[in-house]
Amino acid sequence: MEAITTAGTFFDGISARPRPVTLRLTFRLEIAGEDIARDWSLLDLRASEAARPLMRVTHAQGPESVEFADDPFAEALKARCPDLNRTESEGGLTRLVLWSVAAGVSVLLTAIYGVPAASGLIAPLVPQAIEAQLGRSVDGQIVSLLDDPPLCNEAAARAVLDRLTARLAEGMALPETPQVSVRRHKIANALALPGGRVILLSDIIAKARNGDELAGILAHEFGHVAARDPMRSVITAGGTSFLLSLVLGDLTGSTVLVTVGQAAISAGYSRDAERAADAFAVAAVKRAGGDGAALAAILERITDADDEKPDAISFLRSHPFTAERAARIRSLAGEKPAGSGILSDAEWQSLQGICPKPVKPEGTKPDNGKTTTPPTKKL
Amino acid sequence: MNHLGGVPGPAPARTGEIAFDRRATGLTGIVVKGFLLSLITFSIYRFWYITNLRRFFWSRTVVAGSPAEYLGTGKELFLGFLVALAILVPIYIALFVVGLLSPALAALAAPISFIGLFVLGQYALFRGRRYRASRTRWRGIRLGQDGSGFAYAGLASLWWLGTIVSLGLVFPFMRAALERYRIDHTLIGQSRMRSTATGRSILLPWMMFYIVGLLPIVLSILALLAATGFDIPSDLLIQDPATEKSNLIFNPAYDGTPLAHYASAVGIAASVSIPLALLLIPYYRARETRAFLNAAHLGAARLTSSLKARQLYFPYLVYMLAVIGFIIVLGIIFVLLVPLIAKDGANPGIQAFVIVSTVLLYLGAILGTNVLYVRIITVRLWHAVATTMQIENLPALEAVLASTRAPASGLNEGLADALDVGGALEIGF
Repeated sequence: MEAITTAGTFFDGISARPRPVTLRLTFRLEIAGEDIARDWSLLDLRASEAARPLMRVTHAQGPESVEFADDPFAEALKARCPDLNRTESEGGLTRLVLWSVAAGVSVLLTAIYGVPAASGLIAPLVPQAIEAQLGRSVDGQIVSLLDDPPLCNEAAARAVLDRLTARLAEGMALPETPQVSVRRHKIANALALPGGRVILLSDIIAKARNGDELAGILAHEFGHVAARDPMRSVITAGGTSFLLSLVLGDLTGSTVLVTVGQAAISAGYSRDAERAADAFAVAAVKRAGGDGAALAAILERITDADDEKPDAISFLRSHPFTAERAARIRSLAGEKPAGSGILSDAEWQSLQGICPKPVKPEGTKPDNGKTTTPPTKKL
Repeated sequence: MNHLGGVPGPAPARTGEIAFDRRATGLTGIVVKGFLLSLITFSIYRFWYITNLRRFFWSRTVVAGSPAEYLGTGKELFLGFLVALAILVPIYIALFVVGLLSPALAALAAPISFIGLFVLGQYALFRGRRYRASRTRWRGIRLGQDGSGFAYAGLASLWWLGTIVSLGLVFPFMRAALERYRIDHTLIGQSRMRSTATGRSILLPWMMFYIVGLLPIVLSILALLAATGFDIPSDLLIQDPATEKSNLIFNPAYDGTPLAHYASAVGIAASVSIPLALLLIPYYRARETRAFLNAAHLGAARLTSSLKARQLYFPYLVYMLAVIGFIIVLGIIFVLLVPLIAKDGANPGIQAFVIVSTVLLYLGAILGTNVLYVRIITVRLWHAVATTMQIENLPALEAVLASTRAPASGLNEGLADALDVGGALEIGF
C-alpha cells in the first residue's frame, strides 16, 4: 500500500496547544512530530464533522486528535478506514420518524375519541361543590365572551320565571333547582352550564309566542343539566385542547384556557344528547300541563331566522337535524292538551317584560352586524 | 499544504482569527429535511433538527484554524424535553384547575403563573447554555459552565424588577451583570473566563431608545401643555358617540383651534418615533455584542470585536427583500391557479387538485421563508459576529488545560425547549 503524507496539527486533548506533525498514511496512520510519535490503527479513527478542506480525525479511545487540510489525503483516509464515520449512537432515522408519527396519531385519537368517552365517566363523579365553582367561572367567561350583556331582573317577571322553573323542575331528577339567569342579547339562544346554571338570552323570549314555547326551551336545557352534559363538555373541551396543545408543542398554553370557554359554548352536544334533552323537555312540559310540541315550533322559528343570516354557518349545517328533531318532538308530544298552557296570558305578558327597555337610547343600536357570533348551537 | 493560516508555523500567531464560510454549503438540505420531518412527526423531530443545525454551525466556525465541534445529540434534547414535561404538566394542570375552580384565585393565577414561568424561563436559559457549553469542543477541549441556575434566575428576576421600577433605565446594567455572571461561570477546559462588561459601556446606545422613541412625544406633549397654559380641557378626548365601545376620540368641538394642531403633533410624534425606536434594536444589539465580547477574556488572552451595526441591519434588509420576492413568486403561482377555481367548481378532480395545490403552496411558503430565514438572517448574523471577532494573545489560550469535568446532562435544555426560551442558535457567546 503506497504511503501518503501530509502536514497536520496534533492535539493531545489536554491542552489547546497545536503541535505541527507529519501524517503518514499506510495501513496505519503514523503521526510524527516534536516529542510525538503515534501509530494509530485505521479501525480506531473517527472523523468528526468539519467543512472541506479541513478534516478532523479523532482516536476512538482517548482524547487525541489530528487536523489537516488536504483533500487527496482525506479521500485516501476515507477509502481505507471502514469505521471512519461510525457514531456510537446511530439513531435509525426511519425508526424515529415512525415512532413519532405513531405517538402523535395515538394522542390525536385519544383526544378525539378517548377524551369524550372518559369525560362521560368522569362527569358524574365530580362533586357538587366543585361543579358549582366551575359553573360560576364558566358563567363569567361566557358573559365576557358575549360582551357583558346586562342581567335582566324585572321583579314581577322574575317571579313568574322562578315559578315556571320550579314547576318544570318538580318532576325531574335534578340534584337541585337550576339557577336561571336572563341576559339582554340579540341572539336567540339558551345555554346550560355546569352546576345547574342556565342562561337565557333575551331574544329567545322575544321570539317565543307563548309560555309553552319558552317552557320547552327551559326544560330542554334542564334536560342537559340532568344528563350532566355541560360538565361533560367542559371536561372534553379541556382534555382535548390540552392534548392537542401537547401534540402541537405549545405547552405554555394559555390557549387551553381560552379554548375551554369557547368550546363550552360553541361546540354543542352530540345529537344523541340533544335528542335525549328533547324527550326530557317534552315529558316535563306535558307533566306541567303544557304543550310539548311547542318546543318544535320555536326550534324551527329560530333556525329559520338564523338561516337568513349568511354568517350562521353552523346553523346551516345543523338545519336538517332541526327538521328531524321537530318531527320527533311532535310525535312524542302527541295531542295538544286543552287549557291555556303552563302560563296564563297575564303571566306570559309579565314574563315578556323581564328585560325592560333601557333608559339610554340603546334601542338605536347600529344594526350593522356586531361581531359577536359566539353562541351558535346549544339548543 | 497548509494554506489555512490557522495551522501555526514555528513562530506562533499572536492573534487568532475566527472564520465562517458564509456560503454554508449543505445548510439548505438540513433545513428542508428538518422542516419536512418535523411536520410529519408532530414536531418531535425538531430536537434532531436543532442538533443538526448546531453541528453544522459549530463545525463551520473555525477558531484560530481549528473548527469547533458540537457533541450534543437529538436524543439528549428529547429526553430533556420529556423530563421537563413531567415537571411542567402537573404545574400547568394545577394552574388550570385553580383557574377554573376559583374565580378569586383565577385573577391571581395569571400573574403568579407568569412570574413563576418567567423565573423558570431564566433558570432554563442558564441551564440550556450550560448544556450547549458542555457539548462544545475545540481542539479536543470541552467548554463548560458552572454556577447555579437558581442563583442566575434570582439575579435575573431582581434585575428585571429593578428595570421595571426604574422605567428601563437600569436595563444596560442588568444586561452587563447577567453577562458577567454567565461569562464568569464559563470554563474552557479548566480555565475560567472573565468578563469586565459594564453597563456604562452600553448606556449610550440604550439611551438612544429614549431619545428617538420618547423625546419627540414628550416635547410635543410639553408643547400642547404650553399651548393650553398647562390646563388641558378635560373633554379633549371624549367617548366616541358612534360606537357603544368606550372608544376615545378627539372632541370635534376643538377642531380648527391651535389645540388641535398641537394634539395632532402628539399623535404624529408617537406614530413616527415608536417605529423608529424599533428600528434601533439591531443597532443596540450590535453595540452590546461588541462591548460584551470586548470585555471577555481568559487569562491574558482576550476577545476583540469590531462588529458594526450595519452588519446586523444588512441581513434583515436582504431577508425582507427576499421574502417580498418570494411572496411575488407565490402570488404568480396563485394567480395561475385562480382560473382553475373560478372556471368549474363541479369537477371533483379539479377541486381536489386546487385543494392539494393550495395546501402545498401554503407549506411551500412556510418552508421557503424558513430556508430564507436560516440562510440569510442566521448565517449572516453568525458570520458577522464570528468574523469580526479576534483572539488577542492566542498563546495564552493555547496553554489552556483540558478539564476533567463531567459533561452536563441533556436534561438541562429540555426545560428551555418546553418553555420555548432560547433559540437553537444564539448569536454571541
